[in-house]
Amino acid sequence: MTDVTTEEVMAVALSHQFGEKEHGFVGLGTGDRAFIYAVGIPTVASQLAIERGSDFSLQYGTLFDPDVAVIPETLGDPDLLRWRCAARVPVGRCLDVFRRGMMTCSFISGAQIDRFGNLNSVRIGRGELPDVRLTGPIAQADHAVFAQRTFVILPHERRVFVERVDFVSAPGYGEGRDWRERLGLPGGGPAKVITDKAVLGFDPETKGMRLESVHPGVTVEEVVDATGFELMMSADVRATELPSDAELTAIRERVDPSGKLLKAPVR
Amino acid sequence: MNSKATSLADAVSLIENGSTVAIGGHTLRRHPMAAVYEIIRQGKRDLHLIGWNSGPDFDLLVGAGCARIVETSFVGISGFGLARCYRRAAESGEIEVREHSEISALDMFRAGSIGLPFIASSVLMGSDVPATNPRISTVTSPFDGRPYTAVQAVNPDVAIVHMHAADRHGNVQLDDQHWPDNDADAYIGWAGTKTIVTVEQLVSDEAVRARPEHTILPRDAVTCVVEAPYGAYPCACDSRYTYDLRFIGDYYEASGDQDRLREFFDHWVHGVADHTAFLERVGLDRLLAVSTHRGVL
Repeated sequence: MTDVTTEEVMAVALSHQFGEKEHGFVGLGTGDRAFIYAVGIPTVASQLAIERGSDFSLQYGTLFDPDVAVIPETLGDPDLLRWRCAARVPVGRCLDVFRRGMMTCSFISGAQIDRFGNLNSVRIGRGELPDVRLTGPIAQADHAVFAQRTFVILPHERRVFVERVDFVSAPGYGEGRDWRERLGLPGGGPAKVITDKAVLGFDPETKGMRLESVHPGVTVEEVVDATGFELMMSADVRATELPSDAELTAIRERVDPSGKLLKAPVR
Repeated sequence: MNSKATSLADAVSLIENGSTVAIGGHTLRRHPMAAVYEIIRQGKRDLHLIGWNSGPDFDLLVGAGCARIVETSFVGISGFGLARCYRRAAESGEIEVREHSEISALDMFRAGSIGLPFIASSVLMGSDVPATNPRISTVTSPFDGRPYTAVQAVNPDVAIVHMHAADRHGNVQLDDQHWPDNDADAYIGWAGTKTIVTVEQLVSDEAVRARPEHTILPRDAVTCVVEAPYGAYPCACDSRYTYDLRFIGDYYEASGDQDRLREFFDHWVHGVADHTAFLERVGLDRLLAVSTHRGVL
């Protein structure tokens, strides 16, 4: 099959990270690329895992196991209230699922990420006053502490991949090595960073971010250039696996036939 | 039983300058916007705003110069971008921002609503958030000697939430299949030292007593109730109406520029005497356009 899109490559790469039993959390992000990254890619990836036979319990905010085949036209209240699902729990319970340690995987992002996978969605600039005030820590701070594994989905740009984040709103591996264990953070931290250029992981010993594969048509040099810190290299940096014909058929004919999840217009 | 039904102006006059004011709602959902406009109309100053997931409510109050401290997990205009008044005020130092995650923000209300001094857990460990917020500290567990984060309870001077219905005595109800995110507002309402509830409609005692299981705030937890139909507009209100993205988009554009922002406030807030006049200015066509026409769930 031809004309594989970057978003399809990202979604399939993410789906290959999932195991036989998962409880995943998808936020209800809105707005163009933010929607594709926060909702579209995790939704497609988890549906592919389900088609492979994974027992994947999906939580969209306070909804459990909604009918993804009929994702609502808008995220407005009346449409969301009518989204068929198995459970609609109070928001306190929804957040307690993190704290209870039940979240095996979650999907987060931010304005900045550093070599240890720490994320910032609070402010740009380290002075007394921010140069740019961003939205705030929201629930990403909670995913980062409590989820067994987080998957970070980001545009690969130098201003995003920085030497040191200006504010740690969602901790990754802190200062590296056994930092999370020393602090007693219950969750496992970032497992993979999936961008529009590459798949990255973390060195098991130092916990520094390392390049694992580059997407079709992208060179290692391009990834290095788009990264504002010294990237570690896996022993064998490969090409990101192309989606199989079966996976593309699943995405285009069953999971996302309208393109709502992976092709939302970019403003 | 005394009536707790009052006017929006009288309810908002309970708020003193410099006090802590918790505001309910979530992103573009069910913020008590009619009360927000009235706070601006009455020119309140130096408020310490507290929320768990905030949007146009906080941005308007900050843009109108009503706030000194903002404490919440998020301020943004979902689908449009950063909250521009909030951004300007934070970047200039006009407001102090005290950060939260969603869990810690909810914890301060949960603790305040059930009489706990604080809630301890691993929330926010390893982040820079606690350093911004005196309500977040560390505590050592008496059981295993390990450190945890303590989120202090809040009992705001005034809590304001928008709900579906109430009787005149202040028994506040939500529709049958109410959106479960609304439990955050129940915590906020129960936590208030004084609690103002605006509702879509005041109903009879009989209507409330016919379905008492829908009462989310009994009158003991409520200081006053105000009938404010479309009181969350332009935000959404569960199955009753969705958000007006055109209005929110117009506000978002205006909020990028001080002169246009002043025009917005002059037109939509200071230029109307009260909530009824506001609704008349919005117009029946726009109100009906956001109404769902599908019945209340």
